[in-house]
Order: sequence, then C-alpha cells, then structure tokens
Amino acid sequence: MELIHNARKALDKLKMKYDDVAIKMMLKDSVMVKIWNNQISVTQSWRTIESRIYLAKDKRILELSLSLERPEDIVKVCDEMSKYVDVMKESEIYAPLPEPTAYKPLRDLTDARIRDYMDNPLPLVEGIIGSALDNGAQRVAGTLDLSVGRKALVTSKGFEGEEEGSEVMCYLRAFKGDVSGHWAYGSRRVSKESIEYVGRKVAEIATLSKDKVNVEPGKYDVILSPLVVGNLLNDVAMMASGLYIMMGFSMFMKFKIGDFVASGSVSLYDTPRNIELARSTSFDDEGIETYDKPIIEGGKFMNVLHNVKTSSKLGGETTGNAGWITPLPWNIELKPGDYSEEELIREVRRGFLITNNWYTRLQNYVEGQFSTVSKDAVFYIENGEIKGYTERIRIADTFINLLRNVRAIGKTQYLIRWWEVRIPSKVPYLLATNVNITKPYT
Amino acid sequence: MVLNEDLVFKVLDIALDMGASYAEVRYQRDEFSEVALRNGNVIGFSKDISEGIGIRVIVDGALGFASTNILTVGEARKAAERAINRAKALAKLMKDPITFSEERVGRATYNLVPKKDLSEFSVEDRIALGTEIHKLIVSTVKEVKVAVTAFFIRDHIQEKFIVNSDGAYIRSYIPRLSITTNFVLVHPQKGTLQRYISYGASGGPELIKEWKPEDEIINEVKNLENVLMKGKEPPKDEIDVVIGPEVIGLIVHESAGHPMEADRILGREAAQAGESFVKPEMIGKYRIGTELVTIIEDPTIPGSYGYYLYDDEGVPAKPRYLYYKGIINEPLHNRHTGRIFGVGSNGAARAMDYKSEPIIRMSNTYFKPGNMRFDELIEDVRLGVYIKSYMEWNIDDIRWNQRYVGLEAYIIRDGEVREDEPVRNPVLEITTQGFYSRVTGVDKNLRFYPATCGKGEPAQGVPVWIGGPNVRVSRIRLGVRV
Repeated sequence: MELIHNARKALDKLKMKYDDVAIKMMLKDSVMVKIWNNQISVTQSWRTIESRIYLAKDKRILELSLSLERPEDIVKVCDEMSKYVDVMKESEIYAPLPEPTAYKPLRDLTDARIRDYMDNPLPLVEGIIGSALDNGAQRVAGTLDLSVGRKALVTSKGFEGEEEGSEVMCYLRAFKGDVSGHWAYGSRRVSKESIEYVGRKVAEIATLSKDKVNVEPGKYDVILSPLVVGNLLNDVAMMASGLYIMMGFSMFMKFKIGDFVASGSVSLYDTPRNIELARSTSFDDEGIETYDKPIIEGGKFMNVLHNVKTSSKLGGETTGNAGWITPLPWNIELKPGDYSEEELIREVRRGFLITNNWYTRLQNYVEGQFSTVSKDAVFYIENGEIKGYTERIRIADTFINLLRNVRAIGKTQYLIRWWEVRIPSKVPYLLATNVNITKPYT
Repeated sequence: MVLNEDLVFKVLDIALDMGASYAEVRYQRDEFSEVALRNGNVIGFSKDISEGIGIRVIVDGALGFASTNILTVGEARKAAERAINRAKALAKLMKDPITFSEERVGRATYNLVPKKDLSEFSVEDRIALGTEIHKLIVSTVKEVKVAVTAFFIRDHIQEKFIVNSDGAYIRSYIPRLSITTNFVLVHPQKGTLQRYISYGASGGPELIKEWKPEDEIINEVKNLENVLMKGKEPPKDEIDVVIGPEVIGLIVHESAGHPMEADRILGREAAQAGESFVKPEMIGKYRIGTELVTIIEDPTIPGSYGYYLYDDEGVPAKPRYLYYKGIINEPLHNRHTGRIFGVGSNGAARAMDYKSEPIIRMSNTYFKPGNMRFDELIEDVRLGVYIKSYMEWNIDDIRWNQRYVGLEAYIIRDGEVREDEPVRNPVLEITTQGFYSRVTGVDKNLRFYPATCGKGEPAQGVPVWIGGPNVRVSRIRLGVRV
C-alpha cells in the first residue's frame, strides 16, 4: 500500500484550499494474545489504516482523524469541513508549519522476528507461561502484543517522510498464595529470552517472601521498581508538554527552566532516537527531526517539550515533539545510577520495596499532588533486609517531594511498557526517602 | 449508516464456513467533534471518525477477534481468517473451552432521537458558550486570581450494527454531548486549587439548557474561592460524614460496579484492570453494607450517558441490582461468564469501537435513593463534614482499599452545613466494607454525572453515568492531604 503516494495526492488537492496542511497516514498490523489462568482468553488481530490531517486557514485550526486511505475520500471529508473555517475564530496557538529540515533516518526500527511471531505467537506464549510456572508461580495472567506499522508524513511546506517499525509489549502477573508479582517488557525488538525473562521475574517477585507483616501509615524510605518509576515518570514527562503547561495540567507551571525540581541524581530524558524503544522516530508530526533531550538534568528542569505552536506561545524553539496541537514525549529514559538492586535494599533502614502500582491520580496538577496504589507485592525492609510482604499501601505525596527526595538510582535499566506505562520507558530502580505512605481506615 | 448490510452478513457466512462454532460481526461508526478553548480563546476544532467491522469467533474452544477498517469483502475475509487461524493456532493451550450461554437474542432497531439535532448546535454557539464560561469564572473571583481556564465541548455519534450466528440483528444510533471545564485558582499565600467539572448525556443541544452550566460554575467558583481562602483541616476524631452525589457516584462505580464485573471475579482482567474481592460463593449471601445500601446498574435509563437497549452480544439490557439491601447480589455478565456462573447473560457486553472486543462494562451505576430530605439527613449530626466534590481518587485492583480527596467540603455543626467553615482537602481513605457498613442515612435526591470508564487491553473507554443521593456514613476518621 502506497501510503506516501496517497498522502501526497491528498495534500496536492488540499494545499490549494488551506494555508497549512499536514497529512499523516498510518497502516498497522497487530496481534495481541491475552492470558488468564494459564490459558488464552482471547487472541485479537487488527489491520488498521488511519489518516490524520491538519488544516489551517487564516489562523483557524482543524484537525481530523479518519478511517480512510483513498485520497479522494479524504479530500471529500476535508471539503465538508471547510464550512467550519468561516465560523471558527483564530486559534490562540496558531503558528505556521515549519520549513522542513533534513533528517537522519533511524535504521533497524523493524525486527523481522516480530512479523514471524505474529503469524505464530505460540512459542512466545508457551515460553512466558512456562517460565513463570516453572519458577514457582501458581497462575498467571498477562498480554503479549506484537505489531508492525508504517507511517507516512507530508506537509504543505514540502516535508516528506516515511518510516516503518515493529513493537512488542509483553507483561505478566503471577500469583502465589496472597502475593503477586508483575513485570513488563516493551521494545522494537523481540527475543524468546526477553519474553521468558518476564515469566521468570514475575515468579521471583511472587515467591520472594512468605511472611506477612503489618505496617502503619507514615513517612518511609521507598524503593520503586522500574514499573513504578515508569508509571510516575510518564506523568512527569507528560506534564513537560508545552500545551499541558498552558492548559493548567502541569506542575511545571510553577517553574522556570533551570529551577531545581529534583535531587541531583535525577536525569530524565525524552529519547525519540533510542531504537530500542517502541515510539522511536526520526521526525515529528510537523516534519522536524527528532533529538534526545533532557527534561530534567542533574535535578534541574531543562526543557519544555514543544511543537512550533507552543514554542511560539511560550518562547523557545520546537523540540521535535509535535503533535500538531499537543507536544508529547516520545520515549523516556531515567539515567542510571551506580547502585545494584541489593545495594539499594541495604541502604534502607525502614521502608518498602514497591514492585508495581496503578491508578495514579492528582488532586492538583499545578502542585503535583498525587496518590497511587500498590498493585502487586510490597516488601517491608528493615535495616537493609526484607522482613516480609505487606497488604496494599498507597503513596500519597507530591511529585516534587518525591523527585527531590531521590537518594539513589539503580545501575541497570529495564525496557518497560504495559497498561500503566504507556510511554515506552527505559528506567532503573530508585530509592527515595521520607515518602508519605497511607493505608485505608477500617 | 454508511455500510451496506450485505457485507456484514457476508462476513458472518464466511466465518461460519471457515469452521467457527460461533461468529459475530459488528459494524461500528463513532464520530467525535470537539472544540477546545483556553482562557476563552479557541485552540482548534477536531473531528475523529472511526469506522470498521469487528469479527469475533469461537473456534476449537478458543476465542478470536479481528477487525479492519478497509471495508471490502476481500479485506473482511482476511480479517475473518486472522480471527479464526490465530485462535485455532493457540487452541491447544485451552484447558477450559470457551462457550456462551443460550440467550434469546434481540432483533431490533432503535435510535435515540434528541429534541434538537446536534448539527443544529453551531460551532459559533459552542465557542460562545466556552467564552462565556471563561468570562464568568474570571469575573466571579474576588480575592484570588484565575491562573487558567480550559473548556472542551464534544459530541459523539455512535452507530452500531450487530449480527451473530445465533440470530441477533441489532441496529442502534446514539448521539451524546459533553462539556468539560478546568480552572485553576491561585492566591499568593494560600496556593492553588484546581477543579475539573463535566456534564454529559445522550441527546442533543437541548441538554445545555437542562444543565445550566453557567449558573453552576459561578456557584462552584464562589464556593471554591471560599475553600481556598478559608479552608481548614477536617476534625481528627471519628465523625459523621455526609457525601454528595458526585462523590457517591464515583464510590459506587469503583467499589460496587467494578468488583461486580463477573470477568474480573473470574480473573480475566487480572493483569490489567485487576480482580475482585468478590468471590463466586459470596453472591447472594455476603453482607457488604447496611440495609440502606442498594446499588443499581441500569443501561436503559432514557437520556443517560451509558444508554443502550441491547448489548453487543445481542442480549436485551435490563437493570441489575449489584448490592441489594447490603447483600452482594448480582454481578454483571456477558454470555461467557453467564455460562460459567450458570445464570445467563444480563446484557453487559460493550465495545468502545469497531476495533474493540465486547467485554463486561458498566453503563449507569447509582446508589438507590432513600426517603429522607437533606435536612433530615443532617439534623442529628453534631459534628461532621459534608463533601460535595473531589479531584483525586483511586482504588486498589481488587476494589477494596480506596481513597477520595474532597474539594468542596464544609463542617456540619449541630445539624447545619456551615458554609462559613469550609474544609480543605479532606481525605476519605477506607475499605469497601468499612464504607458500606457505616451507611446510616440516605436522602431522596438523585443526580448523575458523566465519566469515561477504562478497562480491557487495548484499553477501552466507554461513556457511563455515575450517581446517587446524599449519603451519611458514621464513625469515619478523615485524613489530611500532605
């Protein structure tokens, strides 16, 4: 299917009627195997074509997402939309699409093995279930998701780009008695070993301790697993979006570039050029070459993520993170520290190892007030030793407190993506002190 | 509806010819239009049209699903092949073959007809509403500043056409409208306060007159300025807490609706949305709350945000009593869990779009109102807190340990809500049984709020209503937000 050809044909028609036009066409083949109680609940397959169109005239902005591929069909819908231009008002954030820049294409974004496994996922599914059960899990549930997609982008400023990439997302939850363990893997590349590691790891967490201990609410040291780090830093990275800042959905509203927002050990990057991670891309939706950049470096707030609109409104340059309306992080990476995971545990006098979380919600984005609930095993640590597992607890604090209280970071990074970590993340374990932990009133 | 019905029937025949013991084909079209404003100024207008077919089959005891939005017989045939072949390839891992309950499926066409068509609600009028609301917010505050406002107005037209090998034939058309406002109040010494307000229902532009968002938002801004400027910590002792319909709706959605989804009880969503504290043997027997606690799930409420009359497996919709007079009573079922539990489906299968498999979902969940007036509910409260709205909330994956942080809240003293004594960020953090077993009063009001409920993998967000009356819970110790 000639995506770029179709996009170009639609563009040629539309650019005669609009000041700015960008068309992104995407074709994606996916298969997802969902596992429950050691067997398959459903196997889902998708073949989807989607056309996204950006139109601007006299500073009025229209954005469309259509299940269409034929240029004449796309143009027809866009023509119907033209009636809105006359009645719209100028957009507060309008800026012309940028002149195209040369971009260096990323190589090796597609792993041919993923296409093979899409036709026959059985070895991977048997591998992940088997490795968990062989290592002590009683029952498992999870998901294996494999896909290959192609995107083509054309703009009225003359940019043309096309890119293909593969993705694997795999996560599993293992149960043993009252305890569960969870792990995840997300990348552009797959191997049987990487999938089976997920199975072994969930069983390891689920079987780490048999002793239950009771704990009280209060301030504790916490070691956060890469799943928790990924979840919380997804929120932090999203709040670095220029549009989130403008709309009141960001703690960075209160800070300037250069302000200290975290401890000196925290360096959080947006990494579109890391081809290990599933949203790696060589150009953004405005046709700007992507580049890796710090959001936080050595604890300092370094970059708002911009497209040309938010950069023209807030100042600065585009950072290659378009989204025509909303700039977003591509992938995130927390730079490693120099602690092994055993050393992190030894650092804790009184605290927890939280292996997974979910349901992070905010009372106030500007203040970064959030809470999140543990989902799988939480281990209580005293004087550097795991004493047992606890019931479900909650972190209820602010992102600023948490980031400023980071004391140590693990030296091994993991490629994480799952239901609660939507932005592909390369993240280690971390240790934070003086974190507020709550429990329900019974 | 754009699609030729013949294509849908053709794909159904293809799937059955290829060996499926059950086949279902759903054409679905979802059209969203949205205008976004910031500080009363337009950001942009967006339209999202998603249209295609989803095919679900049972083959060799395994469930397969495939979708395509390339609507030709050739592509649809390939999708059916993918659904069947990939399910068959993994069927050897099935220890418990999947079967569906026998149901009298429907053959019906229904349309929700608004008083005024959404097309009559012009973009100019939508923008004017957002601009007006911004002006009202800014002109209402006295001592605080408005850091930013955001406004989104969205309509959603959903069309479905469902057939299956058991004879279902369901066509439906449901238009929906929603508006959402976010604002941030700021004061140099008192800090910031953020509020996110939503309205939503099935219908047309006539809903705006019913909602009267301008009047409500003016009141909210006045009240929340009061909370920001004068709010104090809640009392530390055990007290009575009266919870308003917005928070009650959320509580029943999270701690009655979700744990009563039968797929979750069985563990099908274990790795994603989680499991449930409810075990099959508790149904019909286990006391979770006082006699005053009855939680109803009803897709058939006219004009509701979660409205439907037949589910996506063709089963007629009806009210379900999740908790009845304090007893765990009736889970939500589809045809798969209905078979396992031996009770049949009660019509809870919904799919977000053509790409999504139908799974068990809520529709409109509410706490059944009682007989008291609000003043009767609070007249015996010597010291308490009235919590009207919230921002932060969450609940654990078995739906037991939950937290709601109030936004607009007041002291109740000697049977009276003291608006001159606002409370800042009271934290209700409690177990499900701890909450429902402390319910000591329920008033006769009933109000619904819109929400988008997330579940499944890939995640599916579906429109729901959440609601209830004012509810009094006793012997509660509130927490303080750090």
